[in-house]
Amino acid sequence: MTLKYFRFCTVLFALLMSSHLMAQPSADAGKTLFRNYCATCHAKDMKTASTGPALGGSEERWADYPREDLYGWIRNSQAMINAGHPRAVELWDQYKPTVMTAWPNLTDDDIESVLLYINQEYTKVPETNSGGGGGTGAVASSGGQYTWLYWVLAAALGALALILMQYISGLNKLIAARDGEEFIEKPFLKRIFTKKVISLLILAAVIVGGYTTVTNAINLGRQQGYEPEQPINFSHAIHAGENGIDCQYCHDGARRSKHAVIPATNTCMNCHSAIKNGSNFGTAELTKIYASVGYDPTTNRYIEEYDKLSKEDIEKIYKKWISDQYILSNDDVNTLDKKGEKLVEKQWKDIVSSLTNEQKDEIQGPIEWVRIHNLPDHVYFNHAQHVTVGGVECQTCHGKVEEMDVVAQASPLSMGWCINCHRETAVDFKGNEYYANYELYHDQLAKGEKEKITVEDIGGLECQKCHY
Amino acid sequence: MKQEFGGIWVGEKDLTRDESFMTAAQNEIQNPSLIDALGQQEVVEDLGGNRRDFLKVLGFGVGAATMAAGCDIPVKRAIPYVVKPEEIVPGVATYYASTFVNGGDSCAVLVKTREGRPIKIEGNELCTMTKGGTSARVQASVLSLYDVNRLKNPTIGGEEVTWDQLDKKVIETLSSARSVRVVTHTILSPSAKSAIKDLQAKYANVEVVTYDPVSASAILEANESSFGDKVIPNYHFDKAEMIVGFNADFLGTWISPIEYARQYAKNRVINDVSHAKMSKHVQIESQMSTTGSNADNRILIKPSQQGESIAYLYGAITGQSVNASLSTETKAALNNLAAQLKANSGKSLVVSGSNNPAEQTLINAINSTLGNYGVTLTFDSASLQRQGDESDLVQLVSDLKSGKVDTVILNNCNPVFEYSGIEGIKEAFEGANGIALAYEANDTTATCDIVAPIHHYLESWGDVEAKRGHISLVQPTISALFNTRQGEESIIRWAGVADISSDQPYYEYVKAAWAKNAFTHQNNYLSFSSFWDQSLHDGVFSYEVKGSEGSFKGDVSAALRGISKSSGADLEVQFIEPITIGNGVYANNPWLQEMPDPVSRCTWGNYLAVPVGFDGVKKFKGLNNLSDGDLAKLTVDGKTYVLPVIQQFGQAPGTVSVALGYGRHIVGDAGKNIGTDVNASISMKGGRAQYYATDAKLSSKTGKEQYYSSVQYHHTMGVTAEDKKGNEFNADEAALAPGYGNVFSGFQGALTDRSIIRNAHVDNIKQATEDLKHEREHHQGLNAETLYPYDAYRKEKYEVGHHWGLHVDLNACTGCGACTVACMAENNVPVVGKKQVSRHQEMAWLRIDRYYYGDVENPNVVYQPMMCQHCDNAPCENVCPVNATNHSSEGLNQMTYNRCIGTRYCANNCPYKVRRFNWLDYTTADLFPANQVDVNGEALPFGADNLTRMVLNPDVTVRSRGVIEKCSFCVQKIQEGKLTAKKEGRKLRDGDIKSACQSACPTGALTFGDTNMKSGDFHDKLESPLNMIVLEEINVRSSVTYTMKVNNRDKSLEA
Repeated sequence: MTLKYFRFCTVLFALLMSSHLMAQPSADAGKTLFRNYCATCHAKDMKTASTGPALGGSEERWADYPREDLYGWIRNSQAMINAGHPRAVELWDQYKPTVMTAWPNLTDDDIESVLLYINQEYTKVPETNSGGGGGTGAVASSGGQYTWLYWVLAAALGALALILMQYISGLNKLIAARDGEEFIEKPFLKRIFTKKVISLLILAAVIVGGYTTVTNAINLGRQQGYEPEQPINFSHAIHAGENGIDCQYCHDGARRSKHAVIPATNTCMNCHSAIKNGSNFGTAELTKIYASVGYDPTTNRYIEEYDKLSKEDIEKIYKKWISDQYILSNDDVNTLDKKGEKLVEKQWKDIVSSLTNEQKDEIQGPIEWVRIHNLPDHVYFNHAQHVTVGGVECQTCHGKVEEMDVVAQASPLSMGWCINCHRETAVDFKGNEYYANYELYHDQLAKGEKEKITVEDIGGLECQKCHY
Repeated sequence: MKQEFGGIWVGEKDLTRDESFMTAAQNEIQNPSLIDALGQQEVVEDLGGNRRDFLKVLGFGVGAATMAAGCDIPVKRAIPYVVKPEEIVPGVATYYASTFVNGGDSCAVLVKTREGRPIKIEGNELCTMTKGGTSARVQASVLSLYDVNRLKNPTIGGEEVTWDQLDKKVIETLSSARSVRVVTHTILSPSAKSAIKDLQAKYANVEVVTYDPVSASAILEANESSFGDKVIPNYHFDKAEMIVGFNADFLGTWISPIEYARQYAKNRVINDVSHAKMSKHVQIESQMSTTGSNADNRILIKPSQQGESIAYLYGAITGQSVNASLSTETKAALNNLAAQLKANSGKSLVVSGSNNPAEQTLINAINSTLGNYGVTLTFDSASLQRQGDESDLVQLVSDLKSGKVDTVILNNCNPVFEYSGIEGIKEAFEGANGIALAYEANDTTATCDIVAPIHHYLESWGDVEAKRGHISLVQPTISALFNTRQGEESIIRWAGVADISSDQPYYEYVKAAWAKNAFTHQNNYLSFSSFWDQSLHDGVFSYEVKGSEGSFKGDVSAALRGISKSSGADLEVQFIEPITIGNGVYANNPWLQEMPDPVSRCTWGNYLAVPVGFDGVKKFKGLNNLSDGDLAKLTVDGKTYVLPVIQQFGQAPGTVSVALGYGRHIVGDAGKNIGTDVNASISMKGGRAQYYATDAKLSSKTGKEQYYSSVQYHHTMGVTAEDKKGNEFNADEAALAPGYGNVFSGFQGALTDRSIIRNAHVDNIKQATEDLKHEREHHQGLNAETLYPYDAYRKEKYEVGHHWGLHVDLNACTGCGACTVACMAENNVPVVGKKQVSRHQEMAWLRIDRYYYGDVENPNVVYQPMMCQHCDNAPCENVCPVNATNHSSEGLNQMTYNRCIGTRYCANNCPYKVRRFNWLDYTTADLFPANQVDVNGEALPFGADNLTRMVLNPDVTVRSRGVIEKCSFCVQKIQEGKLTAKKEGRKLRDGDIKSACQSACPTGALTFGDTNMKSGDFHDKLESPLNMIVLEEINVRSSVTYTMKVNNRDKSLEA
């Protein structure tokens, strides 16, 4: 049933947008605009060409022409090409047949904002170490090389103890002989495990056991380094790293919601309706998306009434696609050979097993990813607060996802870890009118009594900031 | 007999300082022996454990912990959309404008949905009738969407069928029917009415029988004869300076209570003390209704005397002599009342709940004589909220018996239960071909062969015209949960006018109707689609409808003859519609069942309210020596009911009253075996239901109710007791330090000897505010004597950033309980059931304390919403051994569930008694859910099944067993409001954050805000000289401010 709902919050949204449009050009506004409009085709570093050219230095390249030409180019490039603008034609020759989407709704201020942002990114000196607060649990490797020494020492001491024991036993024997008593030699083990030793051992066991129990109990439910296998071999390294797609292009909840949001399949389709062969796995992984949403890559059409198709029908459609691609990519085969058949069968089996599980019998429908970052139910975390208000980089908590082929949990996500960051992080009082409320702190900052106001100062360590 | 009492009291037990009550009140946590001491039947407890059990539990605990530690973390799935709907952002609530509607009850609302699930109902501020107010029924309606007992599939003869099969069968039945009646409650929807017209056009002999579960048909008939318009006038309580109600519960249940409460409160709130002015409200009734409890004066009469009282008042106003067998005091009071009404001509309003057309005609005559028409009641935008006429139902029963009518279509109603007073109604319906459009199984669907389950209003399209020209839209906020179909859609399908090509034929139908009607009443939009979009966005649309300006042409002398005569019986019974479950319509809603009745404070069942006699010294006795929780036999016209008793102050002597709607025979789990059905005793005099009976006998005590579930003595604050020498001391203080008695004596509050409630007469308000100021200065002086001066740390700690507070205007609060249900919905507060309530274990975070004051035989009432006071110097915080409850820099008293180990010290130390302990796993939030389900032989609690759990607010933790919880000032809403401001880069504004109780309130009694904000509505309210702090003298620095209760009681109207 398709219900046409009308959003009650439309007005609010419109207000937001309008206030946004009225703003002066700023790199911050440009960042958002870049993400929303440009990042799909242009690389974020402004230096490498992606679907579209690298944007860094574009102002210089357009410097010979009036500013309006550049605006016009961004708003509607095809119009400029058709009008025969020399720079436009030059670019078209270079990039055709890729057409740049027209953005007629962008104002001059918007474009200036984007250009400001482009320049800022272009001229930024690459950071050698961008490590934020999210240190992955460093392994103490320095201790390793001396471990053998401890063992040697322990062995030496043990030997010494044994020698001493023998020696004492010998002395006792001598004393007994001197006093004329009969010396009954105790068995070796009995000589070692005296009452004292046994009590000491038990004490040690209790302490070690207690310590281990407590440590393990604290770590219960924590899963730093958790790196589960996902239904699709999706590589952030390719998408966010190599292609430089902005995190928030897919995880669009991060800026406005508590959830960062796993993107819907139709977000994937924005690009993958065109890019149909993956750079790592060819058809093996991308076909899973098509099978989930019901897109036939052979005909470039969404399949009508896909919900109602049987497994066999679906199998036919995608097996055809996989085998066609196999034939296309091998110059020397015209029909599906033995190797090809095997490959198609294997890929299809993998697709089915990825898209189904005990609860989900059908291939159609959502891709069920394995959730990596899990917080307990009694913890409230809001992405928007951190990303939009706090300006925290994704990498600060999630690590260098753009380098991960398989995503792993970088941070412990423990309460201590959260608290620590709240203790250290300064709140940007200047950028947000909301904080004008904290008059005392503004005074203290002005007088130099305080260097910075941390999240802790405005109540960031209090229970009901996260638990309610 | 006047017995002025200096202080406030809760009930008979604290008035007499009942020993067991005093002991119980000392302890926050009640154990069974104390409940026994309070006179309970022995509660069989099976909590006893022994050493073996302890070891078992210990072993299980250690084992479970080890297992949990050893196992891998279970794989959790993150399932995204395939195609994400544009309007949904997971984690962000989306609001839709819609309209709550159930028969004649309606309210324009906003529905809060999360990830496609409706989870909370808010009022729609654009609605000119309610201005964003709601009622308990509106708030609770979201829970019935997830009712496990809903009808889920179409059935014929109890067998599940497909809709096509059902339609075929219905069309066959209708085509071959001799005569068909559509039986329905009031229909407010113009589109639904037109759908029924289409049905009538298609099949011959289809007629509509409209009735209301509690009738107001006499008003309709009287207005037809008096003014030629069969409609309920548009009342304007806000324009009336003198309001007289004859047994009309207009703040609770009568016609349009949300609207009336808002209007009423407008003239009851004191905005300017130096020019204090308020309306005067006199209620003439036998039982203490919600409305009566708000009145300045109540004139106590027996139910059968109502007609004569109205006639006598009419006589006194017009100067005619009218014979009435009323007491001399009553007559004197009515004479004075008449004089005052005359003095307020043109700005007074007289209403009556009587269902006798003659009496209503007299009411019209009174209002007409007083010149009130055109001012306080008009026929412009007249109300359509009651259209039923039960005499049609009486006619239908006889037609069914005679065979004149053979087929009935039930439109989601239950006449067999509601009108069991009509002789043979059940048999009549059983004999007919029944087609039921029904939401849940009830006594009447049981007589129907064909049952077509309908949608909840949150799954439906529709429109509602509550008053002429006030239309609001109903739009679905979730796809149908089960295989149900909207009732109206069924009708248009059967009528053959449905647009079968559409997914949603009724949507098309409503839209087409709007294009034809509503669209033509406006000039703002040229195209229908933009008008439709805007109406759907706003939820409401209104245009002016002028009514007849006709003059009164009723036959007064006939009316004077037609009134009911005083019976002279010793005992009369009044039947009342409970504010919670109506006449059984909402009986399967656990939130409403657990909401205490505002006056009697009873939950889960109907109690027989008996008057309390006073022996002139210190003893109070219920009628026939009955005491709270006793069972007694009530015999009405030969029918005998066994009912539990509650002693009710303000109940007229020689009368008892009992609520309708309980004891439904076929009902879901929540309403099963709850209360007693007394509907059979409603007499149908002249085809009109009379909600009282004169032939009644009451036995003395026959037993004890097993689970007595009135909460009036629960969580009692600041009780004062007497020691052996007769010295008074504060009972809960004594629990801390015996002999600490009289230190605080002399403070206001008399019985409770504490500053809990202050009240004053409006004429003495200046003196009262002076006294209050003086007393507060005294308290503050005492409080300043400390090593830790509050003001110093307040400046440093709480004046930076925000400091939250709440203002409660006791003059606006009518006790309706909308806030308490809103709080349960917003904060995932569990329902505990009758048995747990009887153990004092109800979980509500917000309770409305009801106190009496004044004359013990005819007291005034003050309602005090009581929630966590978020004390800046909180006694609960100091005693927590694990620091699970502590204070935030924003002045919130934070309760951290995951840190709580359940010692309950905090609850013991809370002077306001607002902390609640999770004795059981009410919402299956425990890590090992089923390990102790059967410990006490408890059934699975309400809210523990997966369907009901869909109503939970995902932003609020679901508490597990063994932790304390309490009001958090809706911290999730505070955080959300702050985040929105931050995202928009602006300061927080006054009114940005509204607590759930505030947004639910129909009268604006509660205002939430930031005490550091130096302007705005909240700030202005904090400046009122009427403000006081409850228990200010104990230096806990509460953040909740109450106003003094001001009344306008008139000595000359006492009777």
